[in-house]
Amino acid sequence: MSEARVEQQRPASGAALLVLVGLGIAFALLVALLAAAKTHSGPIYGEANMLYAALVLYTGAATLYMGYGVTGIERYVSAASLLTVLGFIANTAAVAHRWSVAGRPPFSNMYEMLLSFVWTLALLTLIAERVYKVKIIGSITMPITVVSVILMQLLPSDVRPLVPALQSTWLQVHVTLAMLSYAACAVSFALAMMFLIQDNMKTESFQALTSAGMVAIYASILLTRFHAGALGVTAYDMESKSEVMVSRGHPLFIQIPDLGWLYLLVLLSALVPLALYIVGQIKKDASLFDVASKGMFITLMLQAAGLAIFVARVKNGQYGAPEADGLYSTALPANPFLLAGMVGSIVAGLLYLLLLWRREGLQRMMPSADDLDRVTYKIICIAFPLLTLMIAAGAYWANQAWGSYWSWDPKETWAAITWLVYAGYLHMRITRGWKGRRAAWFAILGFAVVIFTFFGVTYLLPGLHAYAAG
Amino acid sequence: MGLKLIWNKLYQTLAAVRTGIFLIIIVGVFSAIGTVILQRPTSEPADIQRTYSPETLMWLDRLGLTDIFHAWWFLLLLSLFCVCLIFVSVDHWPNVWKVYSKPVRFAESHFRASLPRTVKIAVTDEAGALTLVERVLSRFGFKPERVTENGATGIYAEKQRFSVFAVYLVHLSLLCIFAGYIVDGIVGYRGNVSVPEGQALGQITLRDNRGGESKKTLPFLIRCDGAGEETYADGSPKKWWSKLVLIENGKEVAAKTIVVNDPFVYQGIRIYQSSMGQSSTPKTLTFAATAAAGGEPVMVEVPLNGKAALADGESLSVLRWVPDYYVQDNEVFNKSDEPENPAVQLGLTNAKGETKKLWILYSKLNSTKGQDAPYEFALKNATWAKFTGLEVSHQPGQFGVWIGVVLMAFGLVIAFYTQHSRIWATVIEDGKGGKLLWMGGTTNKNRDRFQAKFELIKTALQEQLGDGAAAKAKQKNSKEKTLTQA
Repeated sequence: MSEARVEQQRPASGAALLVLVGLGIAFALLVALLAAAKTHSGPIYGEANMLYAALVLYTGAATLYMGYGVTGIERYVSAASLLTVLGFIANTAAVAHRWSVAGRPPFSNMYEMLLSFVWTLALLTLIAERVYKVKIIGSITMPITVVSVILMQLLPSDVRPLVPALQSTWLQVHVTLAMLSYAACAVSFALAMMFLIQDNMKTESFQALTSAGMVAIYASILLTRFHAGALGVTAYDMESKSEVMVSRGHPLFIQIPDLGWLYLLVLLSALVPLALYIVGQIKKDASLFDVASKGMFITLMLQAAGLAIFVARVKNGQYGAPEADGLYSTALPANPFLLAGMVGSIVAGLLYLLLLWRREGLQRMMPSADDLDRVTYKIICIAFPLLTLMIAAGAYWANQAWGSYWSWDPKETWAAITWLVYAGYLHMRITRGWKGRRAAWFAILGFAVVIFTFFGVTYLLPGLHAYAAG
Repeated sequence: MGLKLIWNKLYQTLAAVRTGIFLIIIVGVFSAIGTVILQRPTSEPADIQRTYSPETLMWLDRLGLTDIFHAWWFLLLLSLFCVCLIFVSVDHWPNVWKVYSKPVRFAESHFRASLPRTVKIAVTDEAGALTLVERVLSRFGFKPERVTENGATGIYAEKQRFSVFAVYLVHLSLLCIFAGYIVDGIVGYRGNVSVPEGQALGQITLRDNRGGESKKTLPFLIRCDGAGEETYADGSPKKWWSKLVLIENGKEVAAKTIVVNDPFVYQGIRIYQSSMGQSSTPKTLTFAATAAAGGEPVMVEVPLNGKAALADGESLSVLRWVPDYYVQDNEVFNKSDEPENPAVQLGLTNAKGETKKLWILYSKLNSTKGQDAPYEFALKNATWAKFTGLEVSHQPGQFGVWIGVVLMAFGLVIAFYTQHSRIWATVIEDGKGGKLLWMGGTTNKNRDRFQAKFELIKTALQEQLGDGAAAKAKQKNSKEKTLTQA
């Protein structure tokens, strides 16, 4: 049935491309606005300027890659590839500058880790494109780099001296390995998704998957931040450029009134396509899919509106908290989890639209399903030993710093669960010969756990407890 | 049911890969639950109280869900998984050993049919063909050997036979890690002690997993000869150090200046720098002494456990230091260790050796006025001793863990990057009176790479045997294949 739909598709039209280029420009504008908000100082080759150059170049590359995804015009790829190389050079300069200023590799906070992550991802994209000839991968990975660099613009970026516990070579080894293995997991996820496309999984299943991802994101936001119709955000002190803390490890949450209801609405709208898919599957009624498509558009619009209102209300206004007197302001840098979730959800929706409009063209451009399946396996064969050594280096560092190599804290536990999932993938593949769809789903599950370990454990689990009392 | 029957059933269950996977999934699920429910060893008791209602907490405690990772049933699950790993390995061993020790060297007809990759080339000279195969295989890094079975001659070549053991190495490494962890769980301990500068202590406080505390005496005393802190320009800590000396049976046996990330290891006991602070006991107290006859006050610094000389052979000592005093029935008592509300009892000894006791109750009147002594004293200053916060741990099982990690690294490299490839060749009848050179091959993993290599060998053979047209076509084909596979 999806075959029929592919044939009904219009050929590549100028309109679709126009939409995408428009989106790219919108991205670039948003980026420019954010950058203007930050004061740039220092030499022209300095980190901030280089990172900004990388952002502009990566945004251009991401737009061109997505343009290639829509139109299939090969020329776009060579231009995108060139932009990626230039962006990568600027990115390298930014990493090098920071390294020399700090006198240590840049891995000590979220900002620095994202800096290294983006660098690795761009490198892997270039490798995948030039060595493995997987050209289309840039249209998935480059938007991720753009989103990450935007996030970095929002995070505090001053070079902070390292407290004693962090002054360890083992920690640096640990974080380097983490970045490498997580980037490899991200690539394996992209490849597994591409495999599902090439394996002719129905477009409505992708819609349900996207919808489920959005529901997961907004459900976790609401679960931890919804409070009597308001949305909790972290209070931020502009003068000291740091979060306001109630006590050690407990940031102060202030309530933006009524925003919670809007997000509840977004959650419900994201739930509609998924619910329609399930009903459609049970009733075997294909017509519901078209209704679900409209729902997808509506939820994307709502999400964009939600993001805009969120940014506006965070920027202007002070809010109160139930457990503290007075009004506090907040800032985007204080809420990386919310922003990453919202932007990630919108990007996922846009990628789905790309698939909806241009599936046939995309399938022509991608490597065969067999090749994708094999490359996914190979990438996981690289990611898994890195993941193993990453956990081992972390344990060794913990043992040097605190005298305990394993203390079951949530980050450790989830790293172990990630390891188990990928071990499961490899075990099933090697001993049971699991290939194709089952393996692809396993790879997707693995990356979902990676994301949870990276973001969820830091922002979701403590949030869960911070609001349990209220 | 006989005992043997039960044992067989149990063995069959535990020797199944399916059981192992089931167990590890359960472990994973409970681990995930353990990160969602606050765990007693890693959370502040106040946070737990605040988060859960008393009834909920009671049930969570009863079900062991507030300390999953140390609960007996969790450890039982891990142990069962280990047992399962051992049984599965034992169960699969004979097969693996057969492949390793008695490889099939000659391809019989039924074996030939079962191979996934084969090629047949018409030949006229049997001996020449086999020699050629040997030459080509050597060029591709194989060490071909000739085998004769039932009068037929064949060629057998293989590479990286040890790769069949990779999975055993990985399983063994997991067992090492678990064993190390279990050993530490049983005989290991971890506690902390705060040692003030200049003192020697030998008792550490252990925290158990329910938030309780107990004491443990170490086989030696830890003496702190100095501790300090360096800070960055912005005030955040840069370095903490402590100069430690270990004393065993009254003798100094070892010394080291430790910093964070560089512990002191002695007889398997590791001492870590964990914090730094000021002790609430002063090192010295400074008093202003004003002679009763009048005149300018003189500053006298008195060490807490010593005395300072005054004029005319008199000396001053601190008899009692009370950090947070209260008075009841004309007696001075202490109510906390925080120097919130200090009181000092001074001893003024005259040249004849007679000592007069004087009190300063700081918050009431910072003076000994009216206590009938040749001097009036007032407390002016205090220097505080530093203490170093040390973490002490004994984890003999950690060596098992590190050995396991190294083994696993090797095991994974062998598992992913080596493969046992085998190639057989022999000359068979084509059924029409002619002869065919038959070659077949297989590998245990990474089939694509082997496939590409097999194609190259095939093309080389076809070229050499003069099957020109076929070779050209194949070459073109295989070039395309290698391109897409690269």
